[in-house]
Amino acid sequence: MDNFNGIEPPMDTVGNIRVNNARIMCNNVFVHYSDKRAIDNLSLDIEAQKVTAFIGPSGCGKSTFLRCLNRMNDTIATCSVTGEILLDNQDIYAPEIDVVPLRARIGMVFQKANPFPKSIFDNVAYGPKIHGLAESKSHLENQVEEALRRAGLWEEVKDRLDQPGTGLSGGQQQRLCIARTIAVSPEIILMDEPCSALDPIATAKIEELIEELSEKYTIVIVTHSMQQAARVSHRTAYFHLGRLIEVGATKELFTSPHHKLTENYITGRFG
Amino acid sequence: MDVRTLIFLVGVIGLSFYFLGRYRIVTQSAQAVQRPHSLLHYYGLYPFFLAIIPSCFIIAIMQVADGFVLSILIEQYLPADIRGGDEFNKTITLSRIENIASGVIFGSPEDWLIAAANKWLIWSERAQLTTTILAISSSILLGSYAYMKVNPGFRSRNAVEQIILVMMMFCSGVAILTTIGIIFSVIFESLRFFALVSPMEFLMGLTWNPQFEGAERAGSGQEGLATYGSVPLFAGTFLISAIALTVAVPVGLMAAIYLSEYASPRIRATVKPLMEILAGIPTVVYGFFAALTVAPLVRGAGESIGLTVASESALAAGLVMGIMIIPFVSSLSDDVINAVPQSLRDAALGLGSTRSEMTKQVVLPAALPGIVASVLLAVSRAVGETMIVVMAAGLAANLSANPLDAVTTVTAQIVTILVGDQEFESAKTLSAFALALTLIVITLVLNLIALQIVKKYREQYD
Repeated sequence: MDNFNGIEPPMDTVGNIRVNNARIMCNNVFVHYSDKRAIDNLSLDIEAQKVTAFIGPSGCGKSTFLRCLNRMNDTIATCSVTGEILLDNQDIYAPEIDVVPLRARIGMVFQKANPFPKSIFDNVAYGPKIHGLAESKSHLENQVEEALRRAGLWEEVKDRLDQPGTGLSGGQQQRLCIARTIAVSPEIILMDEPCSALDPIATAKIEELIEELSEKYTIVIVTHSMQQAARVSHRTAYFHLGRLIEVGATKELFTSPHHKLTENYITGRFG
Repeated sequence: MDVRTLIFLVGVIGLSFYFLGRYRIVTQSAQAVQRPHSLLHYYGLYPFFLAIIPSCFIIAIMQVADGFVLSILIEQYLPADIRGGDEFNKTITLSRIENIASGVIFGSPEDWLIAAANKWLIWSERAQLTTTILAISSSILLGSYAYMKVNPGFRSRNAVEQIILVMMMFCSGVAILTTIGIIFSVIFESLRFFALVSPMEFLMGLTWNPQFEGAERAGSGQEGLATYGSVPLFAGTFLISAIALTVAVPVGLMAAIYLSEYASPRIRATVKPLMEILAGIPTVVYGFFAALTVAPLVRGAGESIGLTVASESALAAGLVMGIMIIPFVSSLSDDVINAVPQSLRDAALGLGSTRSEMTKQVVLPAALPGIVASVLLAVSRAVGETMIVVMAAGLAANLSANPLDAVTTVTAQIVTILVGDQEFESAKTLSAFALALTLIVITLVLNLIALQIVKKYREQYD
């Protein structure tokens, strides 16, 4: 932990890490890649039915922490997570937890749109099929349509559902991935820089979509763009070199940051 | 001058041109204001290539052509009865002359033979002299031409890259031409066979029995006692290949899936090379493993449950062949499965798939073209495999779908037909080429079908 630009990091996170109706509660989380510490003693609540944004410079651990929330870090052999991450008061890292239904409850949208090399229909139908959510073919079709509608993609693709999802434009692919995630009916959606590879128009559509989705889902979004965090999120957490520096209501954090590091970052002095 | 000295000399000339060219550009650019267009060594490489490549071609062509031309030239010195006689005698006489000319003399040859040999010597000396003069002069002329072109404005990099491009095209052409050459030589010999035996008999006949081929069939056009129905051979080939693939494809594919999706990097690093050792074992070794170990086991197991098993069975050969081709399937499939992007795996896992759902529904479909390719490679190995069959499945051309019978394959028959001294005019010998041609056509068709299947079902992930 060096290079704090001469500013001491706080021992504890500035701002209120707890909220009233928390969906996820994280207590003293540490993440290590082999011997390298990626997340350092992090405690934070994720508020239900709200959008929480993680911001911070590259390598600050925001994506790592996001991937802890649905245990995607399990696929990395060298990664170890300690501490508590409670979903509805149940530690998701407890040995009796089965990671498969967990990931169905906590969906994820990735940085680079990664549709399966299958048809648009099959991409969205994949989740309902593996989880046995559809009772019949027509039920499945309804679910696919519903998910595509929610992702705002239905009008664009309804006539070519049998064409490959990889043939869509970048923004459409990302919305397809969101539709695919929604189709599993998750409770929480994690988004890892979902717009970093998209042009401004596609980005605007996704942001609009996030706003709509937040009425139904709890959303956590990692973003590089502070404007995006300001536009879409209700609560923002600022990460710096593996520590959670400051957290607060988005408006407040962007207008009157309490910690010097946060202020430097959002005024564009580094990062 | 002999060829080795000649090549050495051309090499020396080429190298001198390299240094000359470089020296010229260095001195010229020292005087001129202009910077040379290309890096300095390109100005040496251009004369170097021009000096050596055409010369090497001349030497190669003269080497190939001179024996041929000499035989034609020397023919006029042969006595009339040999010159007008049959092709075979003429060939023998010509090679005797060549032997005498190179100092290998058996007994006391006739005077005209010695005279012809002397002529041969003179002609071949002349040929060598011509080669030398042509090669050296083309080397010097083209080298100097290139040398004269060297100046700072000359785009020698482009010129050199053009030469290299042509050389690469030539190399790829060699591979294609060789394939075409092989196919044509097989086709011509097959046509000679089909002049003796009707294609219908060959393709539809159910009995393969070339052993009683007599001179009467080849010489006078009479029917011989031999029969050339190739169906049992192809049936045997497919039976054994099918058994081999039934072993190799599931085992190889499962191993590949384990290695790429489940095994830890350390296990993978150990197991994969170990499996590839299987591919390095000579097929002869597999052959006696099949004949001495597996065949008796199969036989014992069969008899213990009351089945009659031939001591050489298709099953034993097929099983061992299957083991042999496991690494072809597993190693290649493992590579293509690994090439499926991690982002697709993340997507599947992020939706709550289990590892096996992810593998079956996302990874394998994406890797399908590569997997089919690896199976195809295994098929062609199985169809073309000879040694194991010769040793373990026998040579009896039975038409049988029972894997416990002795069968034989196309390749095994080709070997038995062509081993030893053979009369090259007989239908028996020529049948080997017809078999080879049919085999080539069949594998080609299989490849085309598989390519169509891949095209239809592939899932492109880029």
